Amino acid sequence: MIELWFVILCFMLTMFAVLEGWDFGGGAVHLFVARTPAERREVIAAIGPLWSWHEVWLVGAGGTFMVAFPRAMATAFSGYYMALWLALWSFVLRGISIEVGGHLRDPLWQRFWDVVFAAANVLLAIIFGAALGNVIRGVPMDEGGRFSLALFTDFGVRGQVGILDWYTLLVALETLLILGAHGATYLTLKSSGPVHDRSRSMAGRLWLVAALVFPLVTYGTWAVRPDMFIHLLERPPGWVALAAIVAGAVAVFTGYRRRRESRTLAGSVLLIVGLLAATGVGVFPVLLHSTLSDRFSMTAGQAASGGTGLGLAIIWWPIALVLALVYFTFIAWQFRGKVRPSDDNQGYS
Amino acid sequence: MDDPTLWHRLQFAFTIVYHYLFPQLTMGLGWFIVYWKWRAWRKGDERSAEAARYWAKIFGLTFAMGVVTGLPMEFQFGTNWAEFTKFSGGVIGQTLAMESMFAFLLESALVGALVWGEKRLGPRNHFIAALGVAAGSWISGYFIIVTNAFMQHPVGHATAADGTLYLGSLGEYLTNRWAIIQFAHNQCAALVTGSFVVAAAGAFYALRGQHAEQARLYLRQGTLVALVASVLVAFPTGDQQAKMVASHQGPTLAAMEGRFESGPMAEITLIGQPNIRERRLDNPIKVPGMLSFLAFGTFHSDVPGLDAFPADTWPSNIELLYYTFHVMAGLGTLFILIMGLAILQRLRGRLEHTRPLLWALMLAFPFPFIANTAGWMTAELGRQPWLIYGLFRTSQGASSVVGSGSVLFTLVGLAGLYFVLGLLYLFLVGHEVMKGPGTADEGPARYGERSGEESRHD
Repeated sequence: MIELWFVILCFMLTMFAVLEGWDFGGGAVHLFVARTPAERREVIAAIGPLWSWHEVWLVGAGGTFMVAFPRAMATAFSGYYMALWLALWSFVLRGISIEVGGHLRDPLWQRFWDVVFAAANVLLAIIFGAALGNVIRGVPMDEGGRFSLALFTDFGVRGQVGILDWYTLLVALETLLILGAHGATYLTLKSSGPVHDRSRSMAGRLWLVAALVFPLVTYGTWAVRPDMFIHLLERPPGWVALAAIVAGAVAVFTGYRRRRESRTLAGSVLLIVGLLAATGVGVFPVLLHSTLSDRFSMTAGQAASGGTGLGLAIIWWPIALVLALVYFTFIAWQFRGKVRPSDDNQGYS
Repeated sequence: MDDPTLWHRLQFAFTIVYHYLFPQLTMGLGWFIVYWKWRAWRKGDERSAEAARYWAKIFGLTFAMGVVTGLPMEFQFGTNWAEFTKFSGGVIGQTLAMESMFAFLLESALVGALVWGEKRLGPRNHFIAALGVAAGSWISGYFIIVTNAFMQHPVGHATAADGTLYLGSLGEYLTNRWAIIQFAHNQCAALVTGSFVVAAAGAFYALRGQHAEQARLYLRQGTLVALVASVLVAFPTGDQQAKMVASHQGPTLAAMEGRFESGPMAEITLIGQPNIRERRLDNPIKVPGMLSFLAFGTFHSDVPGLDAFPADTWPSNIELLYYTFHVMAGLGTLFILIMGLAILQRLRGRLEHTRPLLWALMLAFPFPFIANTAGWMTAELGRQPWLIYGLFRTSQGASSVVGSGSVLFTLVGLAGLYFVLGLLYLFLVGHEVMKGPGTADEGPARYGERSGEESRHD
């Protein structure tokens, strides 16, 4: 049961990363790929109808984290108090900038919100990258199962660490690059004309840089958590995750070369899923790794809520998932294909 | 200053009160839009289609505010109330996760289609989108109210070996009697907010002599729903809610009424100030026997006062609880009066022409927001000193690793951010109201189209 809920939690976070990933990425690059207000509206219309649906996966992951592993959620969220609030404020700004930008037909107004939108997305991609780095690196949790993190200490990865160190910054940079490339790939599929062409070349450049940084991140992970690689090779799900990473990378490369835009995006999705799955397989069963001593780490078993609660939750969860996929299919079908500026206009025609 | 729990409480109270200003409007407005979309689809009624188009814009803005201010709520259980989460996350996490999975995924998938997709979807699918959004917002409300009802009147839980709670019975938890009554009361109150806002827009246009046809539609439908919903808020739902409080939260009822001493023929206080030090009400105007009747069904029932309970189970802020309860109940009564008057004028065929009444309707729309807020403050202050009634005290719940300074910092930051959001929201809604319904096709406001004129601005 604990393994199952760990998988469900990872699944929800992965859905969030893949779906919000293209919103973050698309938002982060949109000032570069769209030069006129009308082109920027096209980008926002590609993101607009579903950004809150994507964000719900994070809210859902929060709820799932709480119901399945309340002790880990409480310890982690209160330990990351300031960082989490910074992320939440960025979310507020990001959501608002999408919604209000189009309400006033004023170039200065729209420019302002476009820049807020881009900045909030860049910040969020970095924050989530740093969060992923923190999950891998661990937190300075003591014997009492408590910790509180400074923004940074000596940038080392052992002992009294801070949120930012050389490793988490490296992961944050790679996350920004991959999500930027992922978002630009998504925009290539959804847009036409100059936005399409610029998105394509932006995606190509970002994928290239991301591929160059990737070995560095892998080496860093090896240096910080060698046990993750051992887990990954020992456990069959780890092989699947590694295969997904390789297959995703190949599909991105060939799809991009042959201008098969759907294949590139599928590859990009597969790559992100594979990377996150590999992280999940690698860290399990530890949810909060202590940088002070392995003995202080909190495992999923220790963090899980007791009794029959999780058994009851597994009854309703699959039903909700099926329903969610039904709505998603309905909406994705309605908004299929390229953005049509004259139709996708928030009622402001 | 040194007690972090106070700052944690203030931050949660501030963020939840602010957040709930928006969902109460969307939950109320949603069904108006569903009705108008239905008329537009089945009857081809262009007037209703126009109304739906106009209100969908305001709905979209309000919904977005609800989303961005709601996201922090979910995370605050972990950031600010870590001990509470450790103790009861296995129970309340269920409904918080269900809310996302069953309600938010529905609402947020379709709200984009409602706001962005009239042309792409066509009348039938656009109606389905409106229906899904309205239903989703109510389902989400139910899960949140089940969570709150558990804190008010815990059922369906069991205690694990380590002392924390887990869910014992999903059915019992989801059908908590408290939740059902509270949901009915709260959703009627949301309809009051929605309908007052619709009626106020109608009154505004009628007074300005603009959009006569739309103004009449908003006025008539708004006042009718407002009267029905205002009556339902008081009776039976409010009445049942009071009976639940009377039977499960004795000290709360006594504090709400400022009743310090027990006894039969309990009076209800219309006006008066509680004086905690002297343990009495100053300057009261009372109706004898009424509280006995409302709480237990006969005028002679014995209603316990605060003296019947140990002082450490008394709500921690009796004055505020007393005032918020009286503000809610007083406003609720006034709502029935003003909407009753409006319906009377409508039956006489003079609703659109009675200018003083139109002024009153136009200026009345903020008061349901105040009444809803006061009602929730009554529920939450009345629950004190417990976080989960009878099981877990508020003083045990806050995060132990987060100090007063950190919470004060985020509280001040949130106040600033939310102030700016509020200005932005009022400015944009004001802008839409001034543009009015049916004017979107006029002027140069083509959004998202590549026109030469737009590119020049860059």
